[in-house]
Amino acid sequence: MAPTSASGDPPSDKDNWDNGRLARRQQLLTEIVLRNKLTTLVFDGDTTCWVLEQVLLRSYGVQTQGVDNGRDAIAFIAFGAKFNLIIIKKILPIMNGLEADSLNGSGCKILGVTACSRESERQAFLAIGVDVFIEKPLDPEHLVPILRELDGE
Amino acid sequence: MLGLDADRLRADLNRLLAFLFHQGILDEQYLQLQQLQDESSPNFVSEVVNIYFHESEKLLRNLRSLLMDREFSDYDKMGIHLNQFIGSSSSIGAKRVRNVCVAFRAASDQNNRAGCLRALELLEHEYCILKNKLHELFQIEQQRLLAAGVRYPMLN
Repeated sequence: MAPTSASGDPPSDKDNWDNGRLARRQQLLTEIVLRNKLTTLVFDGDTTCWVLEQVLLRSYGVQTQGVDNGRDAIAFIAFGAKFNLIIIKKILPIMNGLEADSLNGSGCKILGVTACSRESERQAFLAIGVDVFIEKPLDPEHLVPILRELDGE
Repeated sequence: MLGLDADRLRADLNRLLAFLFHQGILDEQYLQLQQLQDESSPNFVSEVVNIYFHESEKLLRNLRSLLMDREFSDYDKMGIHLNQFIGSSSSIGAKRVRNVCVAFRAASDQNNRAGCLRALELLEHEYCILKNKLHELFQIEQQRLLAAGVRYPMLN
């Protein structure tokens, strides 16, 4: 279905214009079927985002572990829990240097999410070795390629 | 005859949604939320939105009490609250609220107290609009489900 623009819609289309977008999004959402079981650690202090990010991941069949504070996030990683993907909204002390390297070495991807980033924040994330850095919200367009890669396609 | 109410309500729902998108109050991220709702989590959208309301009202209270303090100087703290508000608003598709927060944060970055106060007023106003409209949306949706339910009493 061709996308309709927000402005200049004839009145009769207004009831249906969002269905085109919905259909496209639906496509993206059901586009992938993971072959392997992937696990993700989601660290976000904001409840709304925390809930949404996990539900989105689970809709793809990814197992998720959510934490809402840095201490618990570090505890999980330090005690050797294995994750395929770590989603963080803030730099964790343990992510510096060696830890980030060893995590990357094990095939684990790190995805930094932030609200409306400043350049300094971006640089800080990239400096500690996150693989991808995106602005909230976490959406299929960014997530699907990462999941595909982790799934070994 | 019974089906007409459900159809009319669906049309009302679509009209309201279209209005909210055209006004920039909501953006496509809201559709993302709708997509995540299914039979196994039929109230997902309203549940997440209620979490958002709860968190947002806390943030608004914090922002107001920070700015009302005559000796206020902790703009960093305000920036942290605003980042959270920007993030959660982006996540549910609350575009206008998010944009006001971004402008608010810019004023905060410049330690511009007057600008912050103006932004806070605007933010409270936009948040109020959003909340009212979303409640309206959920009400219509509930009515629609009830009306649709009447059509197939066996499925209740």
